Amino acid sequence: MEALKTLRMTAIAAAIAAPLLAGALPAQAANERLAAFYKNQVDPHFALVRGGVEAMAKQMGAGPVTNYAPTRPNNLAEQLSQIEDVTVKRPDAILFMAVDPRGVVPAIEKVNAAGIPIVNYNDRVAGGKFVSYVGADDFKLGLDTGRYALKAIGGEGGVVIIEGVKGSTTSDQRVAGFRKALEEFPKVKLLASQPANFQRLPALQVMENLIQGHPRIDAVLAAADAMALGAIEALEAAGRKNTKVVGINGVPEAIQAIKAGRLLATGEFDGFKIGCVATEAALRYLRKEPVPSEIILQGIVIDRSNLGPWDVPMEKRTCPKWADVAR
Amino acid sequence: MTALRDRFGDEAVAFALRLLLIAAVGVALAVFTEGFLSAANILNVLRQASLIFLLASGLTLVLLAGGFDLSVASNLTLAACLAAGVMQATGSPTFGALTALGCSTVAGIANGLAVTLLRLPPFLATYGTLWILQGLAFQYMGGNEIYGFPAGFRQLGTGFLWGVPVPVYLMAMVLVLGTLLTRKLNIGYEIYAIGANPVAARLSGIPVRRRQLLVYTLSGLMAGVAALVYLARVNSADSGIGEPLLLPVIAAILIGGTSLFGGVGSLLGTVAGAIILSLVINGMNLLNVRSTWQPLVVGAVLLVAVLADLASRGRRERIG
Amino acid sequence: MSRAPGAVVRRQRPLPSIVAITALFAVAASLAVPGFTTGPNLTNVGQQTAILLMLSMPMTLVIMSEGLDLSAGALLSLCGVVLAKLLVAGSGLPLALLASVAVGFAFGIFNGVLVSVLTLPPFVVTLGTLGIAQGAALVVTDGNAVTGIGPAAASFYALAPLAIPISLVIALAMWAITHVLLYHTRFGNGVFAIGGNRDALVLAGAPAHRYHIGVYAIMGAVVGITALLLVGRMNSGHPTVAIGMEFDAIAAVVLGGTAFERGDGRLYGTVFGVATIGIVRNALNLLGIESSMQVVSIGVLVLLVILLDSWRKEKGRAAP
Repeated sequence: MEALKTLRMTAIAAAIAAPLLAGALPAQAANERLAAFYKNQVDPHFALVRGGVEAMAKQMGAGPVTNYAPTRPNNLAEQLSQIEDVTVKRPDAILFMAVDPRGVVPAIEKVNAAGIPIVNYNDRVAGGKFVSYVGADDFKLGLDTGRYALKAIGGEGGVVIIEGVKGSTTSDQRVAGFRKALEEFPKVKLLASQPANFQRLPALQVMENLIQGHPRIDAVLAAADAMALGAIEALEAAGRKNTKVVGINGVPEAIQAIKAGRLLATGEFDGFKIGCVATEAALRYLRKEPVPSEIILQGIVIDRSNLGPWDVPMEKRTCPKWADVAR
Repeated sequence: MTALRDRFGDEAVAFALRLLLIAAVGVALAVFTEGFLSAANILNVLRQASLIFLLASGLTLVLLAGGFDLSVASNLTLAACLAAGVMQATGSPTFGALTALGCSTVAGIANGLAVTLLRLPPFLATYGTLWILQGLAFQYMGGNEIYGFPAGFRQLGTGFLWGVPVPVYLMAMVLVLGTLLTRKLNIGYEIYAIGANPVAARLSGIPVRRRQLLVYTLSGLMAGVAALVYLARVNSADSGIGEPLLLPVIAAILIGGTSLFGGVGSLLGTVAGAIILSLVINGMNLLNVRSTWQPLVVGAVLLVAVLADLASRGRRERIG
Repeated sequence: MSRAPGAVVRRQRPLPSIVAITALFAVAASLAVPGFTTGPNLTNVGQQTAILLMLSMPMTLVIMSEGLDLSAGALLSLCGVVLAKLLVAGSGLPLALLASVAVGFAFGIFNGVLVSVLTLPPFVVTLGTLGIAQGAALVVTDGNAVTGIGPAAASFYALAPLAIPISLVIALAMWAITHVLLYHTRFGNGVFAIGGNRDALVLAGAPAHRYHIGVYAIMGAVVGITALLLVGRMNSGHPTVAIGMEFDAIAAVVLGGTAFERGDGRLYGTVFGVATIGIVRNALNLLGIESSMQVVSIGVLVLLVILLDSWRKEKGRAAP
């Protein structure tokens, strides 16, 4: 009984100490204080974005960056609370990507009212005022990558689309691009278009199920690499090695898969670059330098012939030059 | 139905109802879809059901003993992430497997101690550990993923043996061992007794706390097994893999007829529940039904299953 | 253990641990967290916790009746979508709100009937309706946010009588109403009795079914009202926005000292539970703590509170 009591008291003491210790982390004081938002802390794409943000902040001598991601992946209600809280904290500038393009608008208007400069990156927000938008053209990425795949199968056959989270800009625009590409190839038949929420296991299972219903699938167009790689696992397990699969993003695993000949190609949606450029835009604005209202990073289709620049670990990557991207 | 029930007991009837449900869904899909009724697709459904079942099996035992374990899914996440890290660092599937099973079992024991030693309410205690395990996985992975495991290890998830997927054997093995444990061994009888009435169980000399600790430990262990199958199947780990599995796992158990109040249910029922769930999703994919319908259909199936139980039970109660 | 209806309410009991913990965190946050005590931040905390407080009030009733409502979050999303769709179609705010409340109420009645009349386990029933509500919200919107709803909802949400945000005013009013309902009506006694001893309630000739269904119906209707706040906050309807919010509400109720068994608990405890969650999340954001550590802290907080509660209960038993 005595031992039990001691154990319980120790547990309580530990439980009290943990959050207090966490709270006692050193407060930051440096030049520009940046707050950066992400949609989740699960997808490696956002790890790349964060790497870019931190690399550029360091390179330009800004203070440490505070990072915010919802504790439940892609949770809108949590993101709303976080942006409201950050408004109170008053960082010098905010880098923001939206879990949902429309639901966050009232919260962004509050940031505008508080007069904190905010750069929109990665996912476009449908309202509010931003210093700049830094991202890629998701529709064009879908179109180019789709075209690339459809050409590779000789312009005819059956195709499957795997969608991301319905309602998110990155998924909707990329899928619209895929469909536009399909219109250009009238001999290609769209067999199915199913969402897999940007996740690997759902993509794997959707593909396993579709394989059963379709004896021949010539190409799979996935709206993100994670889903493309899940689909490949299903196809390889079923012995369907001739199906061409493309993804979008260019995360490290996708580059390795292209090298190994498993993934045909991926549309460049370079998180590291997006993070770099958005950070530079915010710091330039704070340092009273001109910043264009929109910076669209031109993404290419990455395949075996040109993957060199992406076959580099994140720590060794360098940010693009401002003059090359800001036009 | 009544005669059947008198002869074979509640559980046989409940299981027969589930087989009927599987058959009904199966026939409907076979009529409406091409490719559904092939051996390959049936094995495909079984393989998808196996992951759900492996994760659900330990939780079923916890529920039979009147407890709860909300942390199974995040336990899977952390075990899979750590195992992936170890496998990448050492190249050894053995070390990876030991890591997954060890880490998940320790988490299971921690849950068990929280419930038995500290006497915390299981639903809440495991809700707390759910967040802690998830947070540790986030912290360990730092938003990245770990991918590319040895081919031998991948056989665990993607391999075939005599034409049947390896995870299906695992499912069968766990089912047989678990059924032996719960039905043939004294321990199993004690687990049911604790779930039905913990006070009576204690008074009749059953070591209640030790049995409770055992089921939480097994629940942790099975989360580790499921984590390994997940890694082998998907060939990659990130810190978000477990969370989407929690509600399907609980739904499979409930569709299978296991009670949340303890003492009623079986692993056989959970297998049936997992198969029904996978069958429905498989059919919707083959019919190219928009996946927005999935939650609605799954919710409806769950209610149909409990209502069917109720209907068969209700009749007997009315008759006598 | 069994209590007669009517003789249940005020019994001398120690304050729930959550009161001390809320005070501790509030003091710590105002001393250690820069910006915490500023007016705009306190307004933030109020606005952020208003929706959770709304859900937690009827959830307390549900849990006191030995029930659970897992469908609240999905239903909140669905009601929000319905409300937004009607606003887009050009109907006025009152009509849209009425429709939202009607949808919530209908789901509540459905839950209540299945739980009370058919005696199905609440966890199972509401997990089923969670799927149905979630699916319906997705199907109606095809997964997209509903925008272009006009200024009515947002300008309502922006109201701030006496500089207190309207959402907080409504949530506090909800607390007052629930308090009166629970402690000063026969229905309230019924709620305690359903959790404590439902059979005694039936024997005493009280309309137990009506009370029991009423608990779930109130839950549904309040969710319908809360949808207005949610839609106003985002100026749009979103089919998945409130996923998981039911778990936050359940956690707030149980942190507040309401137990899953025997109709035990106090309403103001829930208010403190909500306040703690709000303060901790806000303070961690202001401090800029990494999300992964935020996740761990939530788990630690839950375990801390239930540990304290169980420890004090034990102490109370040792020295009566």
